[in-house]
Amino acid sequence: MTHGSVPPRVLKIAIVLAFVFNVLAFLVMVHTTPIIFTLFMFVGPPIFVVAFGLLVAAVLADLKTKQLL
Amino acid sequence: MTRLSAAAFLVLVTPVAVAAIDEGVPLPHGWIGTTSEWVRGFGIAFALLNLVLLAFTWRSLRAGTITGTTRGWLFVSVGLVPVMVAFFSFAHGLEASATVSACGSCHVMTPFVRDLHDLKSDTLAAKHFKNRYIREDQCYTCHSDYGLGGTIKAKMAGLGHVWRNTVGRYEIPIKIAEPYPNTRCLGCHAESQKFLNAAGHPKAELHNLVDGAVSCIACHGPAHPEQKKEARR
Repeated sequence: MTHGSVPPRVLKIAIVLAFVFNVLAFLVMVHTTPIIFTLFMFVGPPIFVVAFGLLVAAVLADLKTKQLL
Repeated sequence: MTRLSAAAFLVLVTPVAVAAIDEGVPLPHGWIGTTSEWVRGFGIAFALLNLVLLAFTWRSLRAGTITGTTRGWLFVSVGLVPVMVAFFSFAHGLEASATVSACGSCHVMTPFVRDLHDLKSDTLAAKHFKNRYIREDQCYTCHSDYGLGGTIKAKMAGLGHVWRNTVGRYEIPIKIAEPYPNTRCLGCHAESQKFLNAAGHPKAELHNLVDGAVSCIACHGPAHPEQKKEARR
């Protein structure tokens, strides 16, 4: 993830998605209603998976740039 | 070092604070809360911790260069801590969605929940609730089958309830989807001496209860009050 190899925008999107995931999870734990939990159940995991996927993609791109892959 | 100390303090103190909520009943000496309260407390603590970590990561990225520290923040805040948050959220959410208050959060369920608390009510559900025949999660306990299969089926049905309530696709009066199975009653009552020795439960007729030929509700009902206009949309 050296500067220039991975657009920081990708990592910023990952951070924003992780932030949204955490806010949803926080809502579930502070004010649990069936609707909030259902929303979290279906929206939360995909958001986290996308965020994590972006992070992994950034790491792989970085390793390729350094010719370690 | 100070940041780490603050994070550790947050993670350790939040569950204690949640567990210390007064329930109105004198608690035994040395009470440290229930597992559920600790799960919720840890969940809140990890979610708050991760929000702080994400803020540090964002600030670290804005600096322009991606250093080893930034990589560390990214790994912890996007990859590691959210897994903990997800675990605690699901554990708490699944349990919290089985409570009476969760069922009562939909307006259409208000008459049913109100009846449970009505001291004058003699419906079957109210008797079980007021006398604490079932200690907690009374709606869920009576409306789910025993075992893992029953839990999964009840959760799937719950999703349907949330969907129909959200989009308004339900009919008044609310009716049970399938005839109430006696096995749910017998799961608790079948082995009790009061049940076995009752004149109304002759042993020769027990197979009718097990087979469902005779409904427990037919003699011991009504389970819930008759629905009135207040339950309408």
